Amino acid sequence: MLAGGALVGAAALVVSPFDDDEARAALAGASPYFRHGVASGDPLANRVVLWTRVTPTPDATPGSGRGPAVTVEYQVATDTRFRQLVTRGTVRTDAAADHTVKVDAWGMQPGRWYYYRFLHRGVASPVGRTKTAPAYTSAPARLRMGVVSCANLQAGYFHAYRHLAARNDLDAILHLGDYLYEYAPGQYGMGQDDVDVRRHVPAREMVSLADYRQRHGQYKEDPDLQWLHSKYPFVVTWDDHESTNDAWRDGAENHQPGEGDWATRRSRAHRAYDEWMPVRLGSTAALGDGTRLFRSLRFGTLAELSMLDLRTYRDQQVAYPVVDPAVSDPARTITGREQLAWLKKAVASTAVQWKLVGNPVMIAPVTFAQLPTDLIDPVNDVTGLLPRDGAPYNVDQWDGYTDDRRELFTHIRDQGIRDTVFVTGDIHSGWAADLPYDVATYPLGRSAGVEFVASSVTSNNLKDILGAPPRTASLAVETVIRTANRHVRYLDFDSHGYSVLDVTPARAQMDWYTTGPRDQRNAGSTWAASFQTLAGTNKLSRAAGPVGGN
Amino acid sequence: MGHDHRSSGPSPFLDGDPEREQQRPAAQRRTFLKVAGAGGASLLFSAAAGAPAQAAPKSWNRAYVLVVDGCRPDEIDSGFMPNLRALRDGGFNFPRGRSMPILETIPNHVMMMTGVRPDRSGVPANSIFDRTIGEERTLDRPGDLVAPTLLWWARKHGLTAGTVLSKEYLYGIFGRQATFRWEPRPIVPISGHAPDAFTMDAALSIVEQFDPHLVFVNLGDVDRVGHTDLTGGLSLEVLRRTALVATDQQVKRFVDMLKATGRWEKSMLVVLADHSMDWSLPHKVISLTRPLEADPLLRGKVAIAQNGGADLLYWTGPASGREAGVRRMLQVAAAQPGVLSAHDRVRTPSLRLGPNAGDVIVYCQAGWRFSDPSVVSNPIPGNHGHPATGPIPFFLSGGHPAIRRGSSSEPAYTVDVTPTVAKFLGLPAMTGRTAWDGKSLLRW
Repeated sequence: MLAGGALVGAAALVVSPFDDDEARAALAGASPYFRHGVASGDPLANRVVLWTRVTPTPDATPGSGRGPAVTVEYQVATDTRFRQLVTRGTVRTDAAADHTVKVDAWGMQPGRWYYYRFLHRGVASPVGRTKTAPAYTSAPARLRMGVVSCANLQAGYFHAYRHLAARNDLDAILHLGDYLYEYAPGQYGMGQDDVDVRRHVPAREMVSLADYRQRHGQYKEDPDLQWLHSKYPFVVTWDDHESTNDAWRDGAENHQPGEGDWATRRSRAHRAYDEWMPVRLGSTAALGDGTRLFRSLRFGTLAELSMLDLRTYRDQQVAYPVVDPAVSDPARTITGREQLAWLKKAVASTAVQWKLVGNPVMIAPVTFAQLPTDLIDPVNDVTGLLPRDGAPYNVDQWDGYTDDRRELFTHIRDQGIRDTVFVTGDIHSGWAADLPYDVATYPLGRSAGVEFVASSVTSNNLKDILGAPPRTASLAVETVIRTANRHVRYLDFDSHGYSVLDVTPARAQMDWYTTGPRDQRNAGSTWAASFQTLAGTNKLSRAAGPVGGN
Repeated sequence: MGHDHRSSGPSPFLDGDPEREQQRPAAQRRTFLKVAGAGGASLLFSAAAGAPAQAAPKSWNRAYVLVVDGCRPDEIDSGFMPNLRALRDGGFNFPRGRSMPILETIPNHVMMMTGVRPDRSGVPANSIFDRTIGEERTLDRPGDLVAPTLLWWARKHGLTAGTVLSKEYLYGIFGRQATFRWEPRPIVPISGHAPDAFTMDAALSIVEQFDPHLVFVNLGDVDRVGHTDLTGGLSLEVLRRTALVATDQQVKRFVDMLKATGRWEKSMLVVLADHSMDWSLPHKVISLTRPLEADPLLRGKVAIAQNGGADLLYWTGPASGREAGVRRMLQVAAAQPGVLSAHDRVRTPSLRLGPNAGDVIVYCQAGWRFSDPSVVSNPIPGNHGHPATGPIPFFLSGGHPAIRRGSSSEPAYTVDVTPTVAKFLGLPAMTGRTAWDGKSLLRW
């Protein structure tokens, strides 16, 4: 037993175990076996994935490959003292699993809060709180989720996680990717000068399995992230930085020949993700049984959340900035055929009202060249030069794979599908946009749905890259983009922060919150904007103000 | 407008149209009554034999089903329909409201008033190929509807029902089901419907004069502006906005009347559309006649009933060749540009369309339309019948305390209107072979 371990029942888990700073600090210190905290995720009506990592011996650090095989008990209860146990069991883990513990705990009731913890050699982990999804056929009045993406530890403190954790009105956290970054210290830090507010470990770009594990371990020791994980179940997907920058099916921008075989590197990244994240990869919580990440989670008849994987199956990005007509080549895909067919079926569901799509990269067309769609085909017949949806500005997004988008939007239109909401990360800026069938004739034409894009937790945005003060240089760019893209209703290139997505039968609303300086430990948070889409409209309108907050 | 709605004065029943009535058996002859409309013009109603001049005090509640024909759900929030929006926001909304196949006017009005799907009502589409006469025709005859209606059910239980249906074919198929029927007029040429201003005059009058427990109203302007303007393109949608504003004002008149006459507190309004609306450009037209005729197996053995966004195909060859014929029809139809999907009706039981819908159901993509027998047969850009036109506005409103405020993610279909209204009026549910397919949307 490690020194200082708290005995079962001896820990004072009585008052506000999640919201009291002293209690949290005491618990973290009192659980040396569980220094990476606890987490839950992928809530279903009767089961939730529970996660922790055990450190059975001091040398059994992440990625070390050291430490004995051990047994860890998990408990789920309806009370914080664990007197009303709902389910319990044991899990065996060892260095082959990097001592991570992941279990698909079941036997719970729909739509209820539960408390969980892990035990090793009589020592309890910090207590986590989680919530099951509503019953399949129930009609919930509301679903409210925190929305985050792009948390680069070197670029600053995770204020967004802390401010979300301080709320008590959420059902879950939606993490849209770039949960961690691959870079070495000195690369992609804060601002133009790449200042490392905190230094990555290991002190190199993560490439080996041990690197990925160690980096995951470092992020999981962040107190703000630990707090948020302990309070809410996460629903996650990966973007590129979980492996490396601008990843695609057979490579990545930040993967060099000297770094070995790409498939091997990606499988390491996926392996570490499977070990360290509270997610059903390959449809189960078991390790190593598959890497399929796209999946759906249902919240009664109110909503279904379809989480996409837009890195594993995509073709390579086209060259940029030269406009390449290949962006609209039907042979190129961002989703892969199987995932697109699955997504089309999911959004056509007649069982739920809101079709929420957890979307790692933006789907709203953002272009500068405007030409009516009806004219593009004839012009292409002659020249073959024009991308069918105009000149895109970011070919790493759906704009670089417009045939998939066209197929999806056409399907939405043909099937009379309403209330589709894409919730997106990746681009380190806040956006709200309609999704027009034809950008050139918008707003006279119709929209396939709306997109809400959350800003980054810490990763650099436009003002950081330009080195300009907030709301100066970016304003001009925002004006140009909004002028050329009338369907973009909100755009903030400057702020870091988080969002809150609130879904009721009447509307889906996104609130954007900005957080303070990234290099100040306890920076504040301010509400910035709120947009909504009223049920049945497929378009945005400005909302009066943010929801909840407590 | 006078507000003495329970006047004990002379009955407004008058004899009318004797020539037409003399052609009917005596027991079926209608009684005509003329009523002064709000605009001063006289309105012609017919009534069931022995109909009371006013509703019997069997039920205090009053239910009004207002169908804004062809309205899209987003149009309620478009800014052009503030009164409908206020009505919705003051009531209980079903954002998943949806029309049912075939997404046309007649079958969905029939589903509203029967609570059963077309395989049980006999009414799957506006237009079918009638095998008995060997022709395509509109399902507008009272005998086409084989399921009992809510209108009849209300009468059977001592309540009264009224219909104010702007379209001739709706008036036709519901025939003499209601206690009081407005005979739509004046009828706009081509569209075959009465303008909403006249329809609403009639709706106000039927309520004020006869106070039926249930009134079923179809407002046709929003739909018909799509069907009568042949220019296509975006200008059509601009014209439609004018219709949205005008129809919204007509709904306001109805609500104002209910409030001014003290009926609001006992009223439930079911407001919905029968289908949504799509628009096609002149070059996005599918005509299946030619490719079907070009096929050696199908030539001369297929009849088509065109329903705008859906074509119904009927095998007319020998029964022994039907299986092969259906397979070939599916292949030929699915290969045509603009076709979304083709379905073997018998092997797609979820469609629940019944044999009147033929053998193969073909849907077009959004932005397209069918035109048979030739590409110029259907010049109408406003189009429905295909899945793109499924979403409809659907909400309950009114001043009755049973009407909650809010919205629900539960599904709501046109077939749910009958059970909902029946429950509100205290009518028993039909059982056995006439049991409803729909469900009540009331939670009390």
